[in-house]
Parts: sequence; structure tokens; C-alpha cells
Amino acid sequence: MALFASGCDDLPRDPERTEELVRESKVIRLGWVEGAPSGSEVSMVLSRIEQATGATAERRPGDSETLLGELEDGKIDLVYGRFADDSPWAKKVHFGYPLGYRAQPPKHVETLRFAMRNGENGWIMRLERAVKQ
Amino acid sequence: MNVLPPEIADDMRRARRLEWWTLGGMASVIAVMYFAMGSSQAMKTAFIEDLLSLVPAMTFLIAARFERRPPTREYRFGFVRVNSLAFLASAVVLTVLGSLLLFDGVSALAKGEHPTIGPIELFGQVIWLGWVMIAALAYSVIIPVVLGRLKLPIARRLRDKVLHTDADMQKADWQTGLAGIVGVLGVGLGFWWADAAAAAVISFSILHDGLRNIRIAAAELLDSVPRELDSAAMAAEASRLQQRLEAMFPGGEVRLRESGRYILANVYGVHPPEDLPTLASLMGDDPPWRLAQLSFTPPNCARSNEA
Repeated sequence: MALFASGCDDLPRDPERTEELVRESKVIRLGWVEGAPSGSEVSMVLSRIEQATGATAERRPGDSETLLGELEDGKIDLVYGRFADDSPWAKKVHFGYPLGYRAQPPKHVETLRFAMRNGENGWIMRLERAVKQ
Repeated sequence: MNVLPPEIADDMRRARRLEWWTLGGMASVIAVMYFAMGSSQAMKTAFIEDLLSLVPAMTFLIAARFERRPPTREYRFGFVRVNSLAFLASAVVLTVLGSLLLFDGVSALAKGEHPTIGPIELFGQVIWLGWVMIAALAYSVIIPVVLGRLKLPIARRLRDKVLHTDADMQKADWQTGLAGIVGVLGVGLGFWWADAAAAAVISFSILHDGLRNIRIAAAELLDSVPRELDSAAMAAEASRLQQRLEAMFPGGEVRLRESGRYILANVYGVHPPEDLPTLASLMGDDPPWRLAQLSFTPPNCARSNEA
């Protein structure tokens, strides 16, 4: 299974070319929900992504409603904050693996995590692999 | 008619065993599909199609049980047509669900929803859920296609419409699997619309099956002539029977209809002759059990000759 997956590393791709644009512009537009703490885990994931894409994360602080809306529209590439699985946003954007949990937390618990634009499956895979590495 | 003809008893047993295998096999397919479904519309549609594929098998098993029940005081003709009733109900369900799913797929296309097919953790590895979906879809094809091929010849011998439709739908199931796989791969290649388009194709096939089944069930419930299993044409053995009866009773009008797997013949407008032919001799070289009843309606014993 692992062999199979690694042999097809260029799938999935992004319909809206998020990762390509990140590589071309060398910038990851990162929405940072105000109040979300920095920590070793976030910075480790971010540095892995920066290394893999050759881009630098550019922080944009804001409240989660605004940032997630911008993420949905493709104005930013990534949002970091506290989100719960049963949030109404869960259908409009993709919430990544919770940071600092090994098991799945309950659906109503807001956990620190990244959010990615829906359907940008290559970019989502890139982030999720970096979290689980 | 309420006693199963001994010639087809073996095939009936085989058919029932295959339908039980279908329930078990499809339950495993449904479980696999459920776990791999994710948020893909195509997977959801294929999953619902697999769920719906249990219905003809259940219909057959229920009808096969009812068919042999003796007539009761209220149901003087027994229960051989239970399958038509159940079949009509299941066809309506297929049609309604097919329409709803088609609407879902088309509206997802119209809204431009980008489906997320994300990662899944398996054996400590983070892999793309799309690969799991493709594996599940491939598995979901094998079982129905094998069972469908096994059931088809038995359905023909039993002249069983429910079993035949079930087998026919299962035999065509590889198209669903292929459509789903193309949809998931399309999303993987960055075409967001591939998922919803595949879902629309699959729901269209559900809708198509539903409409076809309504037509088949309605034909029997409206006392149409016995038809071929795979077309709307009159069954060849029924045409031959009609010709024999017409030659024997030139003054009467021969009317054939179907009740379950049996043909009922009525000769209208003549008195029954003194020396009645046996039912088996009327069928010639065709399976004799097929003709279950010959009846006569003498002149002036019915209001109108309009069929």
C-alpha cells in the first residue's frame, strides 16, 4: 500500500493550483486567527511546508470568520486557528488533523489546526503529511 | 399454480441460494463502500446504488416464499403475483432515488462545488483517500458481476422477471464502478467537476433501471401478454401457444396474460369443447409447466368483447 501510494506522488492535484502558485510566488499566504498560540508543533509543520515548496509563510492576522471566508474564496492559502469538527465552516473548508492529538478529539471540541481550501486536494495532502510526519 | 412445478424446483433452490449469497456479498460491498465514501458525491451515489441492489434480491426471496402459499379464503387465486407488486414498489423507489441523486449531482455541478478527497491514515501511513475509494469501487464491481452472470441463465429458465432484472442490473454494475473510478481519478488529476459528473452518470443509470422496472411490473399488473424477459416483445413461447389455441378454436378470441411466472390462457366467445386438450400438449415443445390455466368464456357470459 505504501509503495503504491509513493509511486503516485503527483496525485492528487489542485484544481485551483494552490501549491503551484505557492511555489511560483514563493509566498504562503497564511491566515493566523488572533489569539491562536504559536508553538513548537505549528512552527515545525510550517517549516516543513516552507522547505518542501521553497516558499515563506506570510502571516495575516484576523478573526476566524474573515479568514475562513478569504480561504474559501482563494485569497489566502492556509488558516491556522482553533476549529471544531462540528463548526458550520466544516463543509465550506477542509479542517486538517488536530495538532497535539494522537486520537480523534470529540467533534465539538475546538482544537488547534490548519484549514485548507475545499477541493485543493494536493495542497491538503501536503499539509496533512507534514502534520503527521 | 400454488405448487411449484417439479421441473423448476432445482432451479428455484439454486436461485434462492444465489440471492442469499447476494445479500451477504452486497452487505460486504456496502460496508467497504461506506468506510471509503468520504465526501465524494460519486461514491455516495454508488453506495446508494449498492444499497438499492439489495431490494430485488429481497423481493425475490419474499416472493418465492409467498408464491407457494395455498390460497386463503380472501385470496382465492393465491399469491403468485406478489412479486409484481413488490417489484413495482421497488421500481418506484429506484426511480425516486435516481431522480433525487441526479438532482444532487447536477446541482453540485451547477454550484461548482470542489469536492475534497483528503488523506486517510492506514497502517501508520498517510495516503490519499482516493486510492482507497478506487480499491473499494473495484471490489464493489466484482461480487455483483459474478453473481449477475450466475443468476442470468437460471432467471431465463425460471421465467422470473424479478430475478432476471436483478441479474441484469448486477451484470451492468461494472459501468457504475468504472464511472466512479473515472470520477475519483478525475478529481485526482485536478478536474473538480469529474466527481459530480460521475455521480450524475451513476444516478442516471439508477433512474433508467427504475423506469424500466416500472414498465415491466406495470405490464403484468395490467394483464399484458406474456413478454420476453429482456424486451417488451411478446414471448416466443406465448406466441406459439396463441397460434395453437387459435387453430383449435377458430371461432374464439385467444387472450393470454401472465401471473408470476405462469401463463394464463382464456378463450373468449366459445363453449368449452367436449374433449379438452391437456395443458402440456398445448405447450408443444416449450416447457409445459409454463401454462397454468386454460379457461373459456362462452358467448353471452361477459358484457363486452372489447379486450
